[in-house]
Order: sequence, then C-alpha cells, then structure tokens
Amino acid sequence: MSRRSLYLVGLSHKSAPIDVRERVALSAEALKSALVDLKRMEGVEEALVVSTCNRVEVFVQAEADQPARLFFTSRAQQAAEHLYVKAGEEAVRHLFRVASSLDSMVVGEQQILGQVKEAYGLASAVDAAGGYMSRLCNRAFVTAKRVRTETEIGRGATSMSQVAVDLVAKIFGDLSDRTVLLVGAGKMGALSAKALRVLGNVSVVVTNRSPERGQALAAQVEGTFQPWAELEALLAKADVVIVSTGAPTFVVTAEMMKRVMKARRHRSICLIDLAVPRNVDPACADLGDVYAYDVDDMQKVVSANHEARRSEAVRAEAIIEAEIMAFVQERETREALPVLAELRQRASAIARAEAARTLQRAGAGLDERGRKSVEAMAQAIVNKLLHGPTMRLKDAAASGDSSLPGAAAALFGLEEKDPSPPSHDQ
Amino acid sequence: MSLDLLRVAAVIYAASAAGFLAYFARPKHTAAARVGAWLLTAAWALHVVSIGMACKEFGGLEWFSLRGGFVLMAWLVATAYLVVQRFYHLPTVGAFVTPLTLLILLPTLFGVGGAPGVAPATLRHPTLTLHIMTAATGVAIFALAFGVALMYLLQEREVKGKHFGALFSRLPPLQSLDGLTQRLVTIGFVVFTVALLTGAVVAHTVWRSAWSWDPQQVTSLVVWLLYGAMVQARHSGWHGRRYAQLTMVGFALVMVSMVALRAVPGITLHQGTYAPPIPVEVMP
Repeated sequence: MSRRSLYLVGLSHKSAPIDVRERVALSAEALKSALVDLKRMEGVEEALVVSTCNRVEVFVQAEADQPARLFFTSRAQQAAEHLYVKAGEEAVRHLFRVASSLDSMVVGEQQILGQVKEAYGLASAVDAAGGYMSRLCNRAFVTAKRVRTETEIGRGATSMSQVAVDLVAKIFGDLSDRTVLLVGAGKMGALSAKALRVLGNVSVVVTNRSPERGQALAAQVEGTFQPWAELEALLAKADVVIVSTGAPTFVVTAEMMKRVMKARRHRSICLIDLAVPRNVDPACADLGDVYAYDVDDMQKVVSANHEARRSEAVRAEAIIEAEIMAFVQERETREALPVLAELRQRASAIARAEAARTLQRAGAGLDERGRKSVEAMAQAIVNKLLHGPTMRLKDAAASGDSSLPGAAAALFGLEEKDPSPPSHDQ
Repeated sequence: MSLDLLRVAAVIYAASAAGFLAYFARPKHTAAARVGAWLLTAAWALHVVSIGMACKEFGGLEWFSLRGGFVLMAWLVATAYLVVQRFYHLPTVGAFVTPLTLLILLPTLFGVGGAPGVAPATLRHPTLTLHIMTAATGVAIFALAFGVALMYLLQEREVKGKHFGALFSRLPPLQSLDGLTQRLVTIGFVVFTVALLTGAVVAHTVWRSAWSWDPQQVTSLVVWLLYGAMVQARHSGWHGRRYAQLTMVGFALVMVSMVALRAVPGITLHQGTYAPPIPVEVMP
C-alpha cells in the first residue's frame, strides 16, 4: 500500500482578504465539476471541498498536497501566498474545529456545520468522497454535535441587533401587533428593526429629520414614514423605539419621556439608543415602565458573550482532541484487521485440511456425527490458539502500536503470497 | 391511612419540584420539566385520593380545621397550576409553584389528622361548605399569583438593572408574567367574592349577624378591597412592579388572617375547632 494521507490546503477569513476569497469561492455547480477534476488527478483517492463566504478549503486523501494547491493557483495566482497547508492529524483537527465552529469569525455560530454537511453531500454525490471521507466527516459531525450539546459555545447573542432582540423578547414576549419606531436613519437601527421581525408581525414606523432619507429607509424596512415633528406622538404609540440619529444631543429627553409615559398611560416602552454620542437621556431609565439601553449596555453583553464563548472553546478543544484520538484509533484498528483476517483465514484453512486428512485415513468407521465432531475439534484448537494473539493484536492496534501487527505478519509468514501451508504440515 | 397517602404524595411533590428546579438550573434539560409535570400530576391525583379517603375516615369535617384547610389549599394550588399549564407554556413557573405547594403541605404532614370534633348542628349547613371551598380556592389562586408576581419582580430587576445573567435568560418575559398575574388576581377575586358572600350568610345564621368585626372578617375584607382595587386599576392600564408588589402583599395578608389570627386563641371565631380533636393514630 502506498503512503496516502489526508492533506488540507485552504484559505479563510484569517489568512486571506475578501477579494482573494471571492475569487476562489465556487457555486454548487462549479464545485461539482471541480470535485470531479480533483478526483481525476494523479494520486488523489478522495476529495472534499468546503466553500463558504469565509473559507475555501480543499481536503484530499492523496499522496501529496500538490493537487489541492493546484485547485487554488489555477483559479487565482495571488491565492498562493494566503494558503495554509496541513497534513495528517493536523488536517483532521482542522476539519473538526471548522465543523464545530471554533474557526469561525463568530465562534459558536450555527451555520458552518450545515455548510460542511452540504460540502460532504456534494462530494459524495459525485463520488469524490469515498469510505475514508465518509468516516472522517461522520466523525466531524459527531464531534460538532458533542461540542454543541456539551459546551455552551453557541449561547448568548454576539451582535448588537441580536442583543436587542433578546432584550425586547424578555420585556414583551412576542411582538405581534406591536409597533417598532425607528428614530433616525442609522444603519444599525435598520438592522435591528429587521432582526426584531423574528419576534412576530410588527409594524415599523420610521421618522427622520430629512424626509428623503427617512422615506428611503422606510421602504427598505417595509415600514411607514412619519414626519419628524410628530416624534412625541409617535413615542406615545410605539412599544420599541430604536434611536440612531447623527444628532450631537439628546433627541429623547427625560422631560419628553415623562409626558410620553403619561400619554401612553404607563404602558411599558423599550428605548434602545444606538447612537454615539447618545440620543436618549440616560435619566429616562429612571422612569417607571421605561426600559432604556445604550450602546455601552449592549456592547457589554456582546463582549461578555464573546468572552463566555472563548472560555467554552477551551472545553470544546478537549472534546475535539478526544474525538481525533478516537478517529485515529479506529483507523488503526481497521488497518490491523487485514493481518488478523489473513491469520484467521490461514488457520481455518489448515484446520479444514487437517480434518479432511484425518477423516480420509481414519474416518471410515465414523458416522456423520463423528465426522462433524472431528471437524469441530480441529476448528476449536485453532480458535483457542488464536484467541490470545487476536486480542493482543486488537489492543495493540487500538493503542496506536503498529509494530505488533507487522511482527505478527512476519512471525506467521503472512507477508509472502505463498499459498502453501506452513512447515509443520509436512 | 389518608395521612400516609398524603405523605407519599408529598414525596412525589418534592420529586416534581426537584424536576422543575433542575430544569430551571439547566434549561437545556427540557426532559426534567416534562418529568416534573408528570410527577406533579401523579402527586395531585394521589393527593385527591387522600382527600377523599380523609372524608370517608373523618366524615368530611376535617376541612373545618386549619390543618385540613392547608391540605385542601395545597391541592388547589397544584390544580390551579395544572390548569395554567394548559394555557401558558411557562415551565419555569413550576420551579416557583411546586416548592410553594410543598411548603403549604409540609406542616400538615406532621400534624394530627382527623376530625375537629363534632361541629355544632348550626354549622351543618351547605352554605358553609361552599364558603370553605370557595375561600380555599380563592386563596390557592392568590398563592399562585404570589409565585408569578415574585417571578415578575425578579425579572423586572434583571431587565431594568441591566443584569443579563442566568435569571434573565431563565425567567419568562415580563409581559407574560404581568398578564398571568393579572388574570390570576381577577379570577381569584371573583372566587373570593363568593367566599365572602357565603361567609356573611353563614355568619348571619350562626352568629346572628353578617358582620361582627371578627378579625378574620376584617382582614378578609381588606384583602378583598385590595384585590378589588387592583382589578379596577387594571382597566386604567395600571400594571408592572407595583401591581406585582401588591399581589404579594395581598397574599401575605391572607396568610396572616389564616395562620396568625388562629394561632392566638380567642381572638377570632374562625378557630376551626369546636371541640378537642379526636385523636387518631399518628405514624412514628
């Protein structure tokens, strides 16, 4: 058997700028033909390509990493300087970390596992992935699932708009038939308003100093525009208010909120101030039934969650190491099996041959039952003799010791392809 | 026998509370909440069997005593939660209500069960049964409201104080808790009103006066006025922290009138004992 190994060649958000990444990224159709091409190359046994907007990675079970490198350099010359190359266990580790979302831009995000699954599905659909990739990927999926369930790596919001959604959800539950008011045409505000739609069928109202930009934003978020002069009346009606204007002073003052709360009969209101400098007077938070948050409050949550995910990542790495070990062991056990199978096969052949000889010489006086028991005895002797070596070979393989299978092959003369029985059978 | 059954039910209540609390501590394990709900149903069923058996053993007069009242109330709190569970999917509420049920039940497990002697003939009145049943149901609903209001106050502190920690993520949204408290207070108020009216009828026949400034009558009236005002205030949009606080105050008053007043002999006519209790065998 030639020495094949797993090679990974790739680039990701960590190694390459976006303009390089988009040059080598592939659509599903292009990916299929690329996989077929890869598989056809000299020395390539199996291939897998993971292509997302943050990474393109080529895994090959091959004799060298050259074919995988070629995949990149043939598409974009400048990719060469951004590539990372990993082999063997390192490549396995990389795949497991990617699938478990430890290598993602936002650690713990959910999408990557699906993308790796898709990549494997594509590779096996065009027969680029075979037995090895199947075992490797399945182990990667198991690892990712363990990481997700046994650690809290996916917990907590990691973006401002997600934090806003979490907050609003804890105040109002669902947002059906409620109103979100966007004050100012800031980009973050629009993002948050869109994100809030997951909480139910909200109506979005936009107000802005300049009506043109306000109307444009209203169209973008599928809301309605109301003139700036109406602000106080709008505040009295809305349930969630997202403020992000470019104004250097407070747009929503405590005095104004006092009047607003009276007008809205103290129904709860959530004020989210995404502007820097702040647009909502922090004194508003002291009013009853007003839940006010600024960028700092939200950023604190985001950083705390990132911190928590990083500390969970340490636990995830331990799971990954354990799974790599299990995967490597499983493969070595599998490699020890041919020796075992060969040994057993030879031994039973001898048992059958010896039984046949004995029966030929002395079997005339035996009935069918007697013949059967002679055959059974021969088989039993072989089994008893091989029981110890079988167990030890399996143990050795499982603990990563590859010397014993080799020694066994040499001792029992399994290497030579000579079908003649060993010497004791004169 | 009924007491033994009640003790078994209490153990299952405890296991159910453990399930709900485990879910509260580790929300990932939704199975814990499911097991908690099943156990609660089992304990509830056993509890009602125990109540039925006690009726047979002691002729149904046990509910006239403070101890019997607690047994009944604990069961009614569990009933109320099981009903609420059908309409609101808030398994975290179980973590607050099941321990409360157990707490109400606890003193009754060690007391002497049995009939509070023989009630005067004047008390053998169907209106009195209705009075006791509605009063116990009303108080049970207020107890549930107390638990939910406590959850509201805890969550309000988290949301308003910007501590987005473990409690924040585990407790339900403010709006759900507020709405549930309000509904429970309204229903409890209606039931409690019936209890007060029937109480007045009974008082009229037994004490020859519907109103005799009995301390329990006074506290009950205060509680009724408080909850009534809250039901009214709700219509004008009143809600939130103070609503939850008053819900809890109301229940505290109920507890005072039920427990504290009876603990002092002679202060109220609602003693619940009309003769020395008939001793029954007590489990070691």
